[in-house]
Amino acid sequence: MPNLIEIKNLEKSFGKNQVLKNINEVVEKGQVICVIGPSGSGKSTFLRCLNVLEKPTKGQVIFENQDLTNISETALNKLRERMGMVFQSFNLFPNMNVLNNIKLAPLKVKMISEIETTKKAHELLEQVGLADKAEQFPANLSGGQQQRVAIARALAMNPEVMLFDEPTSALDPEMVGEVLKVMKDLAESGMTMIVVTHEMGFAKEVANQVWFMDEGFIQEKGSPNEFFVNPKTKRAKEFLSKVL
Amino acid sequence: MKIKNIGIIFVIVTILLLIPFTKVNAASDGYLQKVKDKGTLVVGTSADYPPYEFTVKQSGKTEYVGLDIEIAKQFAKDLGVKLEIKNMNFDSLLVALETHKVDAVISGMNPTPERQKSVDFSNIYYRGKQYMLIEKKDKSLYKNIHSFKNKTIGAQTGSLQYDLVKNQMKNNQVKGLAKLNDLVIALQSGKVNAVAMEEATAKAFAKNNSSLEVINPNFNVDSSQTGSAIAFPKGAKSLVKVADKTIKKIQQKDLINKEYIPLAGKYMTNNSKQNSMWNYWSYFAKGIEYTLIITVVSVFFGFLLGVLLALLRLSKGKFQRAIAITYIEFIRGTPLMVQVMFVYFGIGALVQSLPALLAGIIAVSLNSAAYVAEVIRSGIESIPKGQTEAARSLGMSQTITYRYVIIPQALKNIWPALGNEFITLIKESSIVSIIGVGDLMYQMQLVQSATYKGVFPIFITMVIYFVMTFGLSKILGYFEGRMKHA
Repeated sequence: MPNLIEIKNLEKSFGKNQVLKNINEVVEKGQVICVIGPSGSGKSTFLRCLNVLEKPTKGQVIFENQDLTNISETALNKLRERMGMVFQSFNLFPNMNVLNNIKLAPLKVKMISEIETTKKAHELLEQVGLADKAEQFPANLSGGQQQRVAIARALAMNPEVMLFDEPTSALDPEMVGEVLKVMKDLAESGMTMIVVTHEMGFAKEVANQVWFMDEGFIQEKGSPNEFFVNPKTKRAKEFLSKVL
Repeated sequence: MKIKNIGIIFVIVTILLLIPFTKVNAASDGYLQKVKDKGTLVVGTSADYPPYEFTVKQSGKTEYVGLDIEIAKQFAKDLGVKLEIKNMNFDSLLVALETHKVDAVISGMNPTPERQKSVDFSNIYYRGKQYMLIEKKDKSLYKNIHSFKNKTIGAQTGSLQYDLVKNQMKNNQVKGLAKLNDLVIALQSGKVNAVAMEEATAKAFAKNNSSLEVINPNFNVDSSQTGSAIAFPKGAKSLVKVADKTIKKIQQKDLINKEYIPLAGKYMTNNSKQNSMWNYWSYFAKGIEYTLIITVVSVFFGFLLGVLLALLRLSKGKFQRAIAITYIEFIRGTPLMVQVMFVYFGIGALVQSLPALLAGIIAVSLNSAAYVAEVIRSGIESIPKGQTEAARSLGMSQTITYRYVIIPQALKNIWPALGNEFITLIKESSIVSIIGVGDLMYQMQLVQSATYKGVFPIFITMVIYFVMTFGLSKILGYFEGRMKHA
């Protein structure tokens, strides 16, 4: 499998507080990677460094042969089109209905025609099981529905990879399943995914690789079977004993 | 604000302040030629001073009349040019002369030594005594200046009378107001006990208002201070020469006493005959028109500039931020009235032909922009960061993000505050009346002069302002409601 993203010597500090410490990893095309670890371990910051929502203090993020940390704003915008992101708090645009939320970026960034974007948006809504909600405003949807729209919105740009930043953490328990189902379908369709999550069940079932992160770097990685059954590091053992 | 920025801000403010002084004085004396080239003589006057100068309504239009206006007409005729009258506060006349807003000032002005330091005068064309206007019921109390002991005396600010009271009635308090009409209201409402004014004017007020009376308090005035003369910019000898000839001709025929004053008297009686407010509805209509024009245009440009300033204020560049912060702080830290005068007289010194209306609109727009900028900034900052992040993660540029995601949401949040700014502008725009823009406030003063009624025009004006602001507030409320549904 070809490498999709290469992360080299990545470091991030907020003032004197070093959050990420020298991370070197590779994401291959088609991989589903779950990043797990205790709160404050730097998981979200790591994910946000990948599409440079946070600018890394040091190191490189190489995506499609370009270093995202060292390119023009325009080039960065171009590459972000190909990296979808889903946030913990959905971040749908409250001033537009569901359909327009999905259509906005393809229309204004990719300059795709109105007819084509509308057609694609309806297909995506079908895919996430919300075909009947096209005309609704975000405020009238449940959390689970909003997150599924957010996934559809990111998919509308035809990304190479999807970044999920704790996509189910802000949901009521009964809504978690519907979102994970959509994500599982997406993984099965071959999408490359990096998922920061606390859903161990999802990680076990869907991930090809689990990265265990603590204190600013990736302490351990492996297949879900290796990691959950036979963790190697002390930190991982402690963590798993608490969450499982 | 960071310390580093203060240096930049200081430089910017200094440059801004220096702009109006960079103009060098015009050549020694091309004044006469300039007036002839223009083909018009622009005369400044403060038209609330019957019988010297005041306004009448003739076939629906406001006209300036009075003995000074007749002299101005004769003067323009002798120059062979057209006459244009510019009406403004007495206080502003000399500034207007110095900044070349007007070619001459004919406004019953006394050629005092202080004034002669800054402007040149023609020969004296008319001499009147200095009187006191009092209430009829007090007639027995006052005989001369000494009988006013411990009383409050009103006088027009910047006038000879003001200085006389100040210097010769040391035991008295002087209350200075810009408009004679306001002084007369002050007299009638007991705020002042007497108003010092020129003989002919005082008599005119008394004649048109049965509760008022005049007395001669016998001010000690030297003859150079009692007469009225035409004022010109310092060094405009060529114009003074022509004016002196005109005055000589007028005096030889005794036109002032034989024709001009009787004519003015006729206008005044006409005015007092038709001083029911209904006859002046067109004044108020004109005032509403101007007030709305100023407000609407200023809201438009104030908003555009405000958006620009808000974006500068939020930008990453230190220099851009410093410019925006300087502008906003400076405008918010100075009164609109001063800004209006600065634009008209200061910027107007560089751009000679800047009309008062445009100057007013510019000043009000620039002022409003600073407040709008802060409202918009607060609106933009009220949008959660996640909105920007979601948009940027989809590949949207900063511009697209602002245009489609941030600004529409911000606008909805700040709509009430923007509406409030709009309403404030309707009221604040009344300040432009000081530079002679014909807005509602200014028209009210004209009606006061024309009708010799003080309070009633104020009341009508108040009601009109309220109807405008209340109506606007209802309209804005309607749109706010509709936005909530969206």
